[in-house]
Amino acid sequence: MIDAIVIGLIESAPIILAAVGFTLIYYLSGFINIAYAETLTVGAYVAVVFNTMLGWSFYASLFPVALLSGLFSVLTYLLVFRPAINRGVGPVEMIVLGVGLSFLLRHAVRVGFGVESYQIDLAGTSYLSVLGTGITSSQIVSLALVAMVAVGLYLLIYRTNQGGRIRALASNEPLALVSGIDPRKVAVLVWFLAGIVGGLAGAFTASFSFVDYEVGWDMILILIMIAIIGGIGSVRGAIIAGLAVGLVTAVVTLQTGSPIYAQVALLALFILTLRLKKTLPLKKILRLNLSGRSILKWGS
Amino acid sequence: MAYTIFAASSMVVYIALGTLLHLQFGRTGMVNFGVVGFVGIGMYGFGILVSRYELPVVVALVLATLITTLLAAILGWLILDLDGEAVLVATLAFATIVYYLTVTQKDLTGGVAGLGGIPYPIDVGLDSALALLVILIFVALLFLGYAHRLGRVPYGRLLASIKDNEPLARSLGKSTFREKLIFFSITSGMMGLVGALYASTNQFLVPRMLAAGLTFTVWIALTLGGRAKVLGAVVGVLISVALFDLVIEPFLPVPRWVGALMPDLQLMFYGLILVTVILFRPLGLLGGRQKAQRS
Repeated sequence: MIDAIVIGLIESAPIILAAVGFTLIYYLSGFINIAYAETLTVGAYVAVVFNTMLGWSFYASLFPVALLSGLFSVLTYLLVFRPAINRGVGPVEMIVLGVGLSFLLRHAVRVGFGVESYQIDLAGTSYLSVLGTGITSSQIVSLALVAMVAVGLYLLIYRTNQGGRIRALASNEPLALVSGIDPRKVAVLVWFLAGIVGGLAGAFTASFSFVDYEVGWDMILILIMIAIIGGIGSVRGAIIAGLAVGLVTAVVTLQTGSPIYAQVALLALFILTLRLKKTLPLKKILRLNLSGRSILKWGS
Repeated sequence: MAYTIFAASSMVVYIALGTLLHLQFGRTGMVNFGVVGFVGIGMYGFGILVSRYELPVVVALVLATLITTLLAAILGWLILDLDGEAVLVATLAFATIVYYLTVTQKDLTGGVAGLGGIPYPIDVGLDSALALLVILIFVALLFLGYAHRLGRVPYGRLLASIKDNEPLARSLGKSTFREKLIFFSITSGMMGLVGALYASTNQFLVPRMLAAGLTFTVWIALTLGGRAKVLGAVVGVLISVALFDLVIEPFLPVPRWVGALMPDLQLMFYGLILVTVILFRPLGLLGGRQKAQRS
């Protein structure tokens, strides 16, 4: 059981990070950004380029990863999503738009980097035993870095003025506008932050296993689920739901011996959670959903 | 010739699925991102019934369609009163479950090794594939005809009212949830029927066929053509799938290295054209120029 918890924690670390980034965009811009998958992929491939091709150490390559995936995320916003919002594209079409962008970028990556998968070179990794579970030192470092980034982001959103602007704009846009908050600056900031954590999540995922062109795409469904279970737009909720998902996956995987059953259980659990949330009274949902942007807002 | 028949069959399958999606999304506003899940149940249901249990083809077709309808009804009962995004993610999750189960339940599906020995519905020797193509075209025309007729009958207006303003429709005494559930189950069941016929076209089933790519291709085609138009799926499939599979791939001479990249270039092109269409013509090529309404 303890090894399940340790493995679950480690495996869910990048997922939590990515879920927070995904949730930020959902929170502020109000739509599911499928192309966020490609932000993760960009992060993973930047890490590959700097680490295996240019010979940087993995941890040094995290800086270009953060910068470039942040820029990438802002670019997708400025070039595709903001024009779409301005043209009044509906929420479902925004998702289809994200799918289209994702197809374009993912297969561009495949044309550029080929079908083979890449491995991150983690020099100087040693194997340790924590509470009877074998893990690598790089996994512990990754876990610590993820925790640092997550805490930093959390403080930024809930404890600083910039964070206050983000939350103000997300929960009451007209009021935020008359208070003199510039929505464009805040949006660019949010997409940049989300890009940074997404890219880092992609790089950490890459360091745990391998990189191919579907590294981000494979995670996007679970990210959407975490964001919705966690209460759309709640960064705290995303962290808690991400942890829960990681633990459930690890426990079911160990019990049944197959990660696929864990996925099936998770997806079934997700549908039931949606059902349950719907039947809870409105006030409770709003309270669960600490941000105030309720899922009910999106009713037909 | 065999390739052309196969490619044309796939094309017709996409048109049929796109038209069903037009009924679900374009007409009723139900966001089904799990098209491939229903197709997969029909496909594997049919395949398992004919090859493992050796049922007659017609019985297996009917059973596969019924099973799909029933599962769609259960799923729909769980999710159809939730908001659009929840339906979207739940159907996507459902399709992913179906995909995973085809991999894990090796006793029934053969797992990644595949499930073979699926016969054609009508066995007329070498022309069996052609006969199946004719059946598929007939089915697709049936859906198109129904979609066309739906624009002229009260039932179609009921569905439109559910799409545009469900609380209003409910306040007028229509049991919108029940109507949505029935319509969703039947149209999803028909996706199962198309899937069962597509199993025959393919003759051999592997889980990879149930990857989410099929759902997205259908969505892309419908969005391109125009989701609210009867012929939207037809136009969309013709300028996306057909353009590549029937025109460019067989006839355009390309260097070998480009040929190897062709599937990726094709999907890149889909993505690009989809982004362009949503930005500049949100209602699709047939849909006129007005902005999409916020739903």
